[in-house]
Amino acid sequence: MQNGDQHYSMEDETYTDIDGKAISLECQSHSGFCREFTVSSAKVSIGRVMVYTCAVWLSAYIVFFITENTAVLSSAIIITLVGMMVHIHFVKVDHETLLIIGSLGVQVSSSYASGRESTDFIEMDKIKDIVINEAIHMQTVIYYLCILLKDPSDPEAVSSVVPLFQSSKPRLNCLVKVYKSCQEILAKC
Amino acid sequence: MVENSPSPLPERAIYGFVLFLGSQFGFFLYLVWAYVPDEWLHSIGLTYWPQKYWAIAVPIYLLAAVVVCIVMLFGVNMINTAPLSSVDNITDVYARGQRIDDCQKRAIPRLKDVSISEVNRIFYLSPQ
Repeated sequence: MQNGDQHYSMEDETYTDIDGKAISLECQSHSGFCREFTVSSAKVSIGRVMVYTCAVWLSAYIVFFITENTAVLSSAIIITLVGMMVHIHFVKVDHETLLIIGSLGVQVSSSYASGRESTDFIEMDKIKDIVINEAIHMQTVIYYLCILLKDPSDPEAVSSVVPLFQSSKPRLNCLVKVYKSCQEILAKC
Repeated sequence: MVENSPSPLPERAIYGFVLFLGSQFGFFLYLVWAYVPDEWLHSIGLTYWPQKYWAIAVPIYLLAAVVVCIVMLFGVNMINTAPLSSVDNITDVYARGQRIDDCQKRAIPRLKDVSISEVNRIFYLSPQ
């Protein structure tokens, strides 16, 4: 973080995702044309991990008690260990970041609970606009922020859509803040 | 000459009563077939019936089919819903192909689709 940075985390307004779980938004303004937004979900709760593990192992022990087959116990242990590793490495997203640099492009990155980061960069020439759209998602209608990409053959047409903050799915108040901030930068370049 | 109103008509009353009598008779026949033993039916002379197994199997098949259809209705709807990354959530072929008319002065403008960027500007950027 350089000296000229302005760093806001929104303390007075609590943000939640579409299911009601608390998330946090952090906006960093690196310079006049470069801003970074980080949406963090709740961390993996050790209590829930312990409850799930105990439930699985208890049921495996009950099955072993009935069937007298030791493979049940060892397979339960292996399944819980492998399941936890797969979950924190591939499924559980810790925070998602949107870095917008005026006239250069947009970088979208998600960081998983195991520390793995997956990053994608989109040049500004390909970006038509960043908008908040409403769509049907699993029997509800949600707001989501997305990047509209230009069609190379027809500059007025939208060729594809990149939805942002897919794992944390913040609600409208959080999206409006990010949208307004991005539009300030897009208007300048 | 064709009447499209849902009001009661003599023909509709006759159809309804015929259906009512037919369904009552069909139900009575089903009960007779399911409960009366085979020997009594054979002794009267009615020998050509389906197996009694179907008196239980057909209602259970229909019930299972109804439950599966409800689950599949949700499933088919969810499959046909466009994902969040689809362009169909933003625009479609009709909105892309609309002509941009220059509006005449003091005339009501033509009804047209407003682009998502414009809608966002009006909702979120204009001071309320």
